[in-house]
Amino acid sequence: MIQLEMFRFIGCGVVTTLQLLAGGLFGGLALGVLLAILRRNSFGKLFVVPYASVIRGTPLLLQVSIIYFTLPSVLKIRLGVITAGIIALGLNSAAYVAEILRSGIENLSRGQFEAAKTLGISPFYTWKDIILPQVLKNIFPAITGEVIALLKETALISVIGGVDIMRRAQMVAAESFIYFTPLCMAGACYYLLVLSIEVLARKLEKKMRYDYY
Amino acid sequence: MITIKKASKSFDDHGALNEIDLEISSGDSIGLAGASGSGKSTLLRCIQGLEVLDSGTISCAGRTGFMFQDFQLFPHMTVGENVMYAPKRRKTPLAHLEIKANELLHHLGIAQFKDRYPASLSGGQKQRVALARTLISNPDILLCDEPTSGLDIATTGDVISLLKSIQNRKTTIVIASHDLDFLAQITHRIILLKNGTIVSDIEPRKLSNPVEYLRKLYE
Repeated sequence: MIQLEMFRFIGCGVVTTLQLLAGGLFGGLALGVLLAILRRNSFGKLFVVPYASVIRGTPLLLQVSIIYFTLPSVLKIRLGVITAGIIALGLNSAAYVAEILRSGIENLSRGQFEAAKTLGISPFYTWKDIILPQVLKNIFPAITGEVIALLKETALISVIGGVDIMRRAQMVAAESFIYFTPLCMAGACYYLLVLSIEVLARKLEKKMRYDYY
Repeated sequence: MITIKKASKSFDDHGALNEIDLEISSGDSIGLAGASGSGKSTLLRCIQGLEVLDSGTISCAGRTGFMFQDFQLFPHMTVGENVMYAPKRRKTPLAHLEIKANELLHHLGIAQFKDRYPASLSGGQKQRVALARTLISNPDILLCDEPTSGLDIATTGDVISLLKSIQNRKTTIVIASHDLDFLAQITHRIILLKNGTIVSDIEPRKLSNPVEYLRKLYE
């Protein structure tokens, strides 16, 4: 296989990788915000704390495997590789996002909640318009780190048969018995994606500044 | 009118209240004086409902507005957004709201900062924004927690004239402050708290030297 063709074949995996990243990130953020809010309630805490502990205390590879291989027999539902991957990444990422959010919420002064309360703003709008915009801005760098970690973790989906960048590189290697070149190409793909995320994050971060003007 | 009956509240470390009885008539301006830990801020926060009493009752006739010691402006909103956010959420007609906000900002001398963020304002300017944010909802009772702490003497003078201009609107004002001179200048009645109980309840205008009188009790 000529190098260019090899690179095109591996590069096509970017689509799958980005699908997994987007799905996992969306799920992780949405569920993470929910978990972080629930955690402030003493009943919610009873669920959130063990959840985060178990998720963060077991390998993602194990979580992906459980969702893909055991859910069909236990719950009698058949999941596609991408769907199973997105669910696993989302559930996993949510635990980390919730933890990042928790520190962000704790760092915000209690007075902001009180100010909203004295102005008669409902809890929903207090979170939506007052607390979360400030917290998300403060924890943005940490969330960027989580997005990059998540991107690299999508490679685990190759284990359950997802044809992403990693899997494609392995396929090329298995067929041609050349390992170095395809794996380096996969590495280049991941690295370029990470660099793009960093550039995008920096631009967004600049846009969100309101500290000085 | 605010009626407080046998209000008690205890904390592990600070500012407890011990069976406070107090009546505040509408339109009055009251000072809550006392050293730190005397319970004055706690009483103010209980009136607003930010703290829940252990026992006793507090009833307020009318809407309350609360001014925080550190203002608690929303840093991600401009001055204009800070002032208009709460009434907007209550679905106040927008055109009406804009006019009212502009009037208020103008009256408080901060109209030129409408599009700026709080971080770029001085302490005195932030306080005016906080006052505008509270006043736009036309509270019947204005509760101020340490309005002069952290402000210089000139700005404190501005606060006095601002609060006096609100008195003319027939708003009941309750101010918690450790600054006896400030309270004597602006309030009709000063209540001195010590360890969560009322030790003195005076009308400063009826005494020749109320500050000296209270200072003796203070210690």
